[in-house]
Amino acid sequence: MALGLFLSRCDGKMMGTLDLDALARDAGSEAASVMVFDSFFDEAAERTMVEEVTKHGIDAVVLAGHSVGFYEHSISGRYLWDRLEQVGVNRNRVVAANLLQQVDWAHAGDPAGAHEKAKALIAVAALEAQTRPPAEGVATEPVHSALILGATAEALVAAQRLLDLGFEVLVADRDSVSDGFARDHALVATSAYVLGHPKASFADGARMTDGSGWIGDHDIELETARGTVEFKAGGILLADPADTRWVEELRLHFKVDVDDDGHARSLDPERHPAETEVRGILVVPVYGDGEPALRDRVAAADSAALALVMRLTKPTVFHHLYTSRVDETLCGGCASCVRTCAFGACSVHDDRLSHVDERRCRGCGKCVVSCPVGARDLVSSPHRYLMDAIGLLADRWGAGPKVLGFLCSGCGYPAADRSGNAIAEGTEPYPASFLPVRIPCGGRLDALYVLEAFKRGFDAVTVFRCREGHCHNLIGNVDMDRRINLLRTVLRARAIDPERLRIVDISPDDGAGFAGAVNSLYADLALTSAGGAR
Amino acid sequence: MSRPRLATVVLSGCTGCHLSLLDAHEGLIDLLAGVELVYSPLVDGDTFPGCDIALVEGAVGNERDERVLREVRERSKVLIAMGSCAVLGGIGGLRNLYPRSAVLAEAYGDDVPGDGLPALAPSVRAVSDVVETDVEIPGCSVPTQMLVDALTALLAGQPFVLPRRNLCAECTRTKRVLLEHGRDFVSDAVYSVMELERIDPARCFLEQGVICLGPVTREGCGSRCLAGNMPCRGCMGPPQRDFEQGAKMVDALAAILPAGAIMYLDDLVGTAYRYTLPVSYFPSLVTEEAGDE
Repeated sequence: MALGLFLSRCDGKMMGTLDLDALARDAGSEAASVMVFDSFFDEAAERTMVEEVTKHGIDAVVLAGHSVGFYEHSISGRYLWDRLEQVGVNRNRVVAANLLQQVDWAHAGDPAGAHEKAKALIAVAALEAQTRPPAEGVATEPVHSALILGATAEALVAAQRLLDLGFEVLVADRDSVSDGFARDHALVATSAYVLGHPKASFADGARMTDGSGWIGDHDIELETARGTVEFKAGGILLADPADTRWVEELRLHFKVDVDDDGHARSLDPERHPAETEVRGILVVPVYGDGEPALRDRVAAADSAALALVMRLTKPTVFHHLYTSRVDETLCGGCASCVRTCAFGACSVHDDRLSHVDERRCRGCGKCVVSCPVGARDLVSSPHRYLMDAIGLLADRWGAGPKVLGFLCSGCGYPAADRSGNAIAEGTEPYPASFLPVRIPCGGRLDALYVLEAFKRGFDAVTVFRCREGHCHNLIGNVDMDRRINLLRTVLRARAIDPERLRIVDISPDDGAGFAGAVNSLYADLALTSAGGAR
Repeated sequence: MSRPRLATVVLSGCTGCHLSLLDAHEGLIDLLAGVELVYSPLVDGDTFPGCDIALVEGAVGNERDERVLREVRERSKVLIAMGSCAVLGGIGGLRNLYPRSAVLAEAYGDDVPGDGLPALAPSVRAVSDVVETDVEIPGCSVPTQMLVDALTALLAGQPFVLPRRNLCAECTRTKRVLLEHGRDFVSDAVYSVMELERIDPARCFLEQGVICLGPVTREGCGSRCLAGNMPCRGCMGPPQRDFEQGAKMVDALAAILPAGAIMYLDDLVGTAYRYTLPVSYFPSLVTEEAGDE
């Protein structure tokens, strides 16, 4: 496999802790191409990367600079992934090494430690890019239909726009759709248009009871005043941001990112306010404080409707499947995975083999952990990669105290990113010997990884994960607790101090809390921050 | 052409695996017709004469075991580790939870015999942790048919491959709740076998709240315990050699049975690592870190 290592100074955001040219020399010996850019996001840089990929037949890429969250939460970031994929680098083989927030900013006072840590993180990213299998995907002809949740003024405006473009629309409300539409007298004509439209349907007294699928092709089931309604939705629009009940029901079936108030979080409140992490689900953004003016509400509805139309009017939309897979030569049909999956995506059929419902699987990886024979694996976070990453980090860091941090992608990893910001603003930094590994969910933590980490010489293992009730996979953190409690008993019997395994519940925004938690672990275990055994 | 020379050896074991061999009954006649049995506790002879195939039962628990094993390895072409003690360290390996001095004190009190007995090793080791093995067949005792199949294959020049799924693949008990989607445990509590008035012989043990190690245990034993209405205790070891059986039990059962109840089992480690402690991640941590002797 040919590796491309591309480093970025992140548009001048780096503080100068890291010398990227030295890093390129030190970390790039195994790569077919090593390039340093001031920014990944200018046309010349993208063209150069694409040319390098083509010239060297590169099929795995490490983008060293921004956090993975930067790419996930920006359309230009995703566009870079798309360009690389067009020249043959599968999306699953492009891995970000976060040098900006988790190294350059976090360890500004320790350039030598930062350099070593950056090298280790690049090595792990290269391992990940080369160990992950290519992600497959499905190309769907999107259904021109939208489910609009909440009969608000925004719903009315969005419905009118969509109906006008020939979309089928179902508007659902907890109470009465027509009452909801009648609330704003200025929109009475729009209301008449929508209520009388042949392609519009309405569900009163509704709640969502089931959902599956992806952009262009969702299957939705609603319980309504008039019984069960099934609807094929190309996209879903949350038109009543104040009502958290819809969000609560949506997140049982789709990976909706929820903020502390129970509202669906935008992909980026500044630049992509209507989009969410799930491409088929949109929200009407809230503009300003207090009661918004009607024109702002209409603008919000317009931008959400436009985002939906832009996606669903393409001839095909492509959905990557970062799902769990089954090795049928190993599966014994024990059904451990069936009970552990919170989304009903695992089933054991009459053939006594486990099967994955790809329309429901969200790639959290709990089934992989629960599988006692290794018949399950996760496309985005394979078992082999995680085992090898632990050993690689231990070897690269070498002697001296070191702590391994498993960071869940929902809360732990973003919190680690934000800790870089917090440290840049004056929060006390944490030692560079804290080495992070990103996992999709706290529930992806296998007891074997904790044991491997201790065996490879880590002084402590920490897991940063979502707080109670905030798990992006509903109960990944609860399942993890059950495992960890049992594991502590095992550790104690093996003369390993269970205090060396620490679980931290963290908000994705709490950068200072993250740094504080790492520092207090070092203090509690009397680990020195650099060099020398404890 | 002369027949291959077969030897059988017992290290720290109970000779149960030799009895498994004898359990082949008339099958033994065919088997022994193809070999020359040159050395075994089953026949006379004091000194190991060297051989083509050595069947080794038992773990390496004392200095005699290690000396014998090294000689056997040196003077045999094919070495088969036979049974859970040889392959996984076995039940005697649970002594690795304690320092050697504590083990001796428990057995002998103040009166530890000085002469005549081989010196106890600091910890129990599997055969493969001391010498290279060619074939490994776990099981307590080793399943007769599997042993016969392995020897037959070997004599015919064919490879012998262990099955790779878990015991559930060959278990015939029915599952109901386990197959349903749901977040509740399949049982409110965890029971030991003697606590239950009746155990349904046709239904999955886990659904009846009884810990069964079948999911984390390699198939191939013929589900003998389950047929006798007893849950699997895991003697075949993990389905994959680099999976730690006890850790995987924690992983697999956490969503199935109440974790709190499992934790208050009298002996979680003894349950989860009954046969595999010497081949686990920290096979003898006590002696290494606590500085025994």
